[in-house]
Amino acid sequence: MLPPFWTLVESHGDELLVHARKLAGDAQAEDVLQDALLRALRAYPRLRHAEHLRAWLYRVTTSAAIDHHRRRRQEVPTDDPPVVATHDRYDDGAFESLIEPLNETAQTALRLRFVDDLDYDGIAARLGCSTVAARQRVSTAVRTLRESYA
Amino acid sequence: MTPLPDSLLESVAAAAVREGLADAIFTRLKTPIGTLLIVSGPSGLVRIAFESESEDRALAEVAAALGPNVIGSDREMVAPRDALSEYFEGDTHELDLPVDLRLMQAPFRRSVLEELRQVPRGRTVSYGELAARAGNPKAARAVGTACARNPIPIVVPCHRVLPGTGALGNYGGGPERKRALLELEGVLPRPLSP
Repeated sequence: MLPPFWTLVESHGDELLVHARKLAGDAQAEDVLQDALLRALRAYPRLRHAEHLRAWLYRVTTSAAIDHHRRRRQEVPTDDPPVVATHDRYDDGAFESLIEPLNETAQTALRLRFVDDLDYDGIAARLGCSTVAARQRVSTAVRTLRESYA
Repeated sequence: MTPLPDSLLESVAAAAVREGLADAIFTRLKTPIGTLLIVSGPSGLVRIAFESESEDRALAEVAAALGPNVIGSDREMVAPRDALSEYFEGDTHELDLPVDLRLMQAPFRRSVLEELRQVPRGRTVSYGELAARAGNPKAARAVGTACARNPIPIVVPCHRVLPGTGALGNYGGGPERKRALLELEGVLPRPLSP
């Protein structure tokens, strides 16, 4: 039997907000958590058992933070100097905490893509590999990141 | 750790209601007889719990009957909050809030509670009389059980049921609360203020 959803929010909400701050920074944490709680509400009635609900909420929050990063990347106006723009937004250590679980190769790929805002040709040149390989490395890293929190 | 900001919780609740994700909504209201837990489902109030009851158990009961997406919000519950606040301030209008008695499953007990809703403010009824109105004059004891398990006290006014002896009788929320409600409604004289 699943417990009433709000009892989870009242027991774990504060630590989830701390988690969201680590992943998304102070300014974005509440938006990320709000999104995460709504996603959780959509999925909650379909959960098959009531185990590890706290861990599940952490995963949902992480997933919301990843999507938030992606969305904000896409919002960066293209005629602004991209490197400056992204650094301004991610200069709070949040991105580094987010990619921390990954190995060094995967972290490098994600930093080149999301922090330095390089395209795949640029990433390929930095890594000394083909464009296809660069694209693959980034997408594998994103997938691994999702799975590491899943 | 600091608790979550109310604004965040209210935004989540509002979005959940908008999307139709909420199975039930609850709020906590401070009153002269203690904090009440008030829970609404899609068709009306389903549960009111006194401070002396286990809130976890009351919400779990609601989740089992209506679904697990039970959310908390003062804003989404503004209608029952206002109505109950006015009642406790002495407003003499009937508490006319829609109720949903699905937490009371036994059919006779449910019909007792439905009859009880017809007993107006300022009036009382005996267990035997209520049993007769619900269709079984011999079932005074069952009426007692129905009142004791009333999921929506105050709004379904089981405090208006008194034993034939003239005593105050039992009450789910304790005799003190029953006395306070009957005083509020003018059935019992208010104690002199010190």
